[in-house]
Amino acid sequence: MTAPPDPPRPDSVRLLVDLVNEHLDPGYAEAAARRGSRTDPRWYDRLAVAVGCALVGLLLVVAYIHTHRGAPQAEKVHDSLVERVRGAQHAGDDLAARVSALQRELSHAQARVLPQSGDLAKELDLAQLEAGLTAVSGPGVSVTLEEPSNATASPSAGPGGGTPVGPANILTDRDVRSVVNELWQDGAEAIAVNGVRLTPTSAVRFAGEAVLVDFQPVTPPYHIDAIGNADLLATNFAQSPVASRYQTLAGVVGIGFSFTDSSRLTLPASTPVQVRYATVPSRPKRHHR
Amino acid sequence: MIAGIALLAGIVLGLILRPTVPTWLEPYLPIAVVAALDAVFGGLRARLDGIFDAKVFVVSFISNVTVAALIVFLGDKLGVGSELSTAVVVVLGIRIFGNAAAIRRHLFRA
Repeated sequence: MTAPPDPPRPDSVRLLVDLVNEHLDPGYAEAAARRGSRTDPRWYDRLAVAVGCALVGLLLVVAYIHTHRGAPQAEKVHDSLVERVRGAQHAGDDLAARVSALQRELSHAQARVLPQSGDLAKELDLAQLEAGLTAVSGPGVSVTLEEPSNATASPSAGPGGGTPVGPANILTDRDVRSVVNELWQDGAEAIAVNGVRLTPTSAVRFAGEAVLVDFQPVTPPYHIDAIGNADLLATNFAQSPVASRYQTLAGVVGIGFSFTDSSRLTLPASTPVQVRYATVPSRPKRHHR
Repeated sequence: MIAGIALLAGIVLGLILRPTVPTWLEPYLPIAVVAALDAVFGGLRARLDGIFDAKVFVVSFISNVTVAALIVFLGDKLGVGSELSTAVVVVLGIRIFGNAAAIRRHLFRA
């Protein structure tokens, strides 16, 4: 800036200069000037100083007490919350351990009671397989759906004209479901999503931002494993409109989409569904559990 | 002398009463503390300069606390509360440092 020598400073600059240079309240100087040479104290001087200093002391100690009283309380609340969460986690772990122990007991009991060979055993195995009650392995394809690595700025509509979702999760239950349905249609015999086995009563749902498979939350990337005739599955899936849609989406939005056929996939068993009300109509009830 | 005794009396009073700060007053407490410290250092320096005035001290203290709280209150209502409290703390902090430096020069001649 080329300014004439020593120009009158604008007000804003003077404000800043005053801020840095003049720390004392100008009121003191003015009061001193007003008093002039008169030095006898007024009657309220001592009282004012006492009241002011007492107020300052009170304020400081109140602030101190407030700061240090709040901290332990907040910590206490935090600790108790952490304790409760830990307790709930322990309880959940215990229950899960109990479930698996009971499951083992049940399968032992079943192995003892039920015939190991013969038509009935075969029928039972097949039924359990179809119901997803046993772990299965075999050839098949695995499909992977992944969120785009760089989140797009604008929220985009979900595929199929669904509700707009945030850029954080472009993939929804719709996507997982359409791939799963396509795989069933292509001849899959057993499907698991991120290690959660699908059963006849399974549902792929959406709650908040999480995709729920059989009420268990799964997070992207979604690995959908399907067991079936690997060649047929892969060919049918590759030719399906679902696959071509996600190929397009992968190019446009940047989601990760890939599928490979595999000679051996292993899918876990699902937790059994309690059948309480449904019975087979033609035959009488075999035994009551 | 009387100032020190009054300060101690205030501290003791606060320790005895242990008043609870209402929730709506909480955001203004730090601002009030900084304003109070500013008033104390300003008063001390004026005393050393020989121009201390009790009325100016009390009025400046109360008005500083009130105005600082008011600015923060206004900022809270307009959505710039934290920025304005930062501004208040910076301005009063500069003044406290300047006054502390002046007091140091008075006391140590350095």
